[in-house]
Amino acid sequence: MKKLIKISLLAAVFGLAWLINGQTATAAGAEETFKFYCAQCHGLEGKGKGPNVTKDFPVTPRDFTNAKEMSKLSDNYIRGIIMDGGPSQSKSPLMPPWSKTILDVDVNGLIKHLRGLCKCKGKAG
Amino acid sequence: MRFILTTFAAIGLLGFVVGTAHADAGAGKAAFAAKKCTGCHYTDGPAKERNIADQLAKKGPELWYAGSKFQAAWLKGWLQDPKPIRHLAYNSLTKKNAGDHPKLSAGDAANVADFLMRKTTSEVKAGVIKPKKSLKGKKIFTKKMPCTGCHQSASKKGKVTGGFSGPTLVGVGKRLNPDWIYAYLKNPTHFKPFKAMPTFAGILKDKDLKKVAKHVSNLK
Repeated sequence: MKKLIKISLLAAVFGLAWLINGQTATAAGAEETFKFYCAQCHGLEGKGKGPNVTKDFPVTPRDFTNAKEMSKLSDNYIRGIIMDGGPSQSKSPLMPPWSKTILDVDVNGLIKHLRGLCKCKGKAG
Repeated sequence: MRFILTTFAAIGLLGFVVGTAHADAGAGKAAFAAKKCTGCHYTDGPAKERNIADQLAKKGPELWYAGSKFQAAWLKGWLQDPKPIRHLAYNSLTKKNAGDHPKLSAGDAANVADFLMRKTTSEVKAGVIKPKKSLKGKKIFTKKMPCTGCHQSASKKGKVTGGFSGPTLVGVGKRLNPDWIYAYLKNPTHFKPFKAMPTFAGILKDKDLKKVAKHVSNLK
């Protein structure tokens, strides 16, 4: 019985370590996360000129370097758009919901990254 | 007597066919290695990528479930005349696809296709999706969750539009197994633990994922 408890504890510790390692690995890479998911439309520099923005693309993806516009958005608003998609905030469905793809902890990093791109703070709320 | 002879002949023919098929797959595996395909594609599953960096380190798509993903006739043809499936180079958002994938001879292509078509996963259940017109599927595809933002597709008149970050869906009805499309929408991380496409399972209902798969598999 003692042996079984020891093995279970060991498995739990290893499992937890693996989980934490996996999460922090992605959490640490906010820029990597941005370039992997968001740059498709928003561009590697965040100026809204990703490779999907062809002449047929019906909307203009947000320019994250535009401090004037970005400062009008609260962090909660940005979080909502990322997680639940454009329509959740009356915006285009071309901004898809990422809630089943990007971890919460990585969204925190993404928001910080966006604030770095605009060099601005968001409004409260 | 005639019945017995016929039976023996049939068994002999079956043995020949099975034996030939194995030989082809073996030759395909050898050709896959000899042509250095292993430098860009891995064929032993399950998925190995543990983070975004692992995904970005790959030079080409994983092929460990190629037999569940592709249609055999398409694969055999494409290996002989590999026209780009992606507008951009694999894993790049800035570099255009050079269209320089190696071409195989007809014989090598048949053997390699035979080898790859044996790479399957039980995650893909056969006979679930039949390519079919689906108005709801089309609506989701074009408006509700516009797949066209990242994937090119052709209109009925043949006009091609859509984004460049994902593989083209022009001609996808001949390229992909309809059941794989649904399996991928339902459980994408089984195939690609880290992918730039959002996961829609859990956001769209399962019946709607099936409708999207029907629509996509029906695209010309």
